[in-house]
Amino acid sequence: MNGNSSKSEMQAAYWMATPWLIGFTVLTVYPFLASLYWSFCRYDMLSAPKWVGLANYRRISTELFSGGTLAQAIFNTTYFAILSVSLSVVLGVLLAVMLSWEVRGRAVFRTICYLPSVVPIVAACVLWIVLLDPQQGMINEILLKLGIPAQGWFKSTSSAFWPPAWPEDHAGRIVGSKDGLVLMGVWGVGNLLVIYLAAIADIPPQLYEAAELDGAGRWRQFWHVTLPMLTPVIFFNVVVGLIHSVQAFTQIYIVSDGQGDPAGATLTLSLHLFLAAFKELDLGYASAVAWMLFVIILLITIWLFRTSHRWVHHQGGA
Amino acid sequence: MNNRTPGWLGFLSLVTFSALMAAPLLWLVLTSLKTPEQMASEPYSWWPSPIRWQNYSDAVTAIPFFRYLANTLILCVGNVVGTLISCSLAAYAFARLRWPGRDVLFAVLIATMLLPWQVTMVPRFLVIRELGLYDTLGALIVPKFLGEAFYIFLLRQFFLTVPQSLIDAARLDGCSEVGILMRVMLPLCKPALLTVGLLEFVATWNDYGGPLLYLNDPERFPLAYGLEQFISSHSSELNLLLAAAVLFTLPIALLFAVLQRAFLSGIATTGMKG
Repeated sequence: MNGNSSKSEMQAAYWMATPWLIGFTVLTVYPFLASLYWSFCRYDMLSAPKWVGLANYRRISTELFSGGTLAQAIFNTTYFAILSVSLSVVLGVLLAVMLSWEVRGRAVFRTICYLPSVVPIVAACVLWIVLLDPQQGMINEILLKLGIPAQGWFKSTSSAFWPPAWPEDHAGRIVGSKDGLVLMGVWGVGNLLVIYLAAIADIPPQLYEAAELDGAGRWRQFWHVTLPMLTPVIFFNVVVGLIHSVQAFTQIYIVSDGQGDPAGATLTLSLHLFLAAFKELDLGYASAVAWMLFVIILLITIWLFRTSHRWVHHQGGA
Repeated sequence: MNNRTPGWLGFLSLVTFSALMAAPLLWLVLTSLKTPEQMASEPYSWWPSPIRWQNYSDAVTAIPFFRYLANTLILCVGNVVGTLISCSLAAYAFARLRWPGRDVLFAVLIATMLLPWQVTMVPRFLVIRELGLYDTLGALIVPKFLGEAFYIFLLRQFFLTVPQSLIDAARLDGCSEVGILMRVMLPLCKPALLTVGLLEFVATWNDYGGPLLYLNDPERFPLAYGLEQFISSHSSELNLLLAAAVLFTLPIALLFAVLQRAFLSGIATTGMKG
């Protein structure tokens, strides 16, 4: 290829990349730098940003240690993220194994389990708000028939797993709004099923044959073949699931009437900083919280990758 | 082999779990066809009798359904077109052209996918407002004409699979780079374009955060946002609310039924939806 044609190639490349380059500069690089700068400013959108040094970050640390709104938001986010991710892993693996069985009507079962994940989030919220209504909701009706007391769901501040207690002390514990959100999320586990199913289909049949020769029954085959072979996908599930649930916003905003109701029980970091920015016009503080969120996500991701070799099984290593 | 065929206990749990997954949707559809009296009747019955189709016609008149739908469709068409144009141009430049800075910029592009939307939310909002786009559908459409990292990455991976000989042949015939993109790349990468278009369509159809941030005038609300307003104002007419939710879900479910393969390949390449 001669020099002339590669110069025209370069020109073509630049103009073809131009739309993205403009968007990247104006909608990513500038906002990225601006929010970093504003996190050191007092800024209300009406007058110019005013440099206040570390004041916003100092406010964050005070709120954290004095148990203010921010501490509550961090607790809610952590509870929601950990419960969502662990349930999605357990249910994802369990359902995928069952859906990989060669049974009659397998395609129907797969479609049924995948379908909830295509339901638009707003429609899913409408559905679950009605289903989980503490007074008239279908779910509480069913629970009552089964002899289980009515739960508070989206109207209750309590949570099923915090503070932790022995199972017998859990009796009478009310399942609350965060648990409702987790339940709603787990219902949409279908996307993950697709990936888990593909991974199960990729497990070499010889591994099962060898396990069977060694006299391993169904359970041992699951523990010693299926589960280890699925760890790379489980790892992916954990990383992406944590990032997604820490950033979750729409369903939380809708279910909590846009303010973390009831009594801040669903006020997550996303919602907290959204309200700080657009309700209280405290853009400096909101930017500082956003950067804190970013750093937390980054640290968790790095930590997950660092510790992954301890439990993620990689094929073809030796 | 025995790990592929369950015992009766396994089969029973498969049926149970599937029933639990299906029950909410089934309940949604059946309840959306009930009369208000049936909804309150004791003993509870799942089945609506008589079936009240009128809930659906009532639902579309109780809210400005068709106005919201029109807004949603404008957004969907605008966003899909914008995404396909801007992203395939950039993806071609990244995949098949040599230019200084390409590899560095591509690494940066990948890195931006890790940035939480909360970090850029506020300044982005102010940029859009400065551009005079606040409270217009343009606030949501214009950024789509400026490319999106994730789709550029996805399309680039597909463009890389097209044989270099086809590109060289087209160049020898005097075809411009855009011509190569239009006549060689895009026709060969139709499944990838379908996947990207579909993901963007569904993402736009479902988007709630965008309208919440950028739209103020109810005349411009898309369905996802308009429907949510309906929750608080019509909470006494639950059957209508549920009918509206069914109407809102149906097109996406149908799209999935028809284009199942493109949906699943989107997940297979990305591990998540939009």
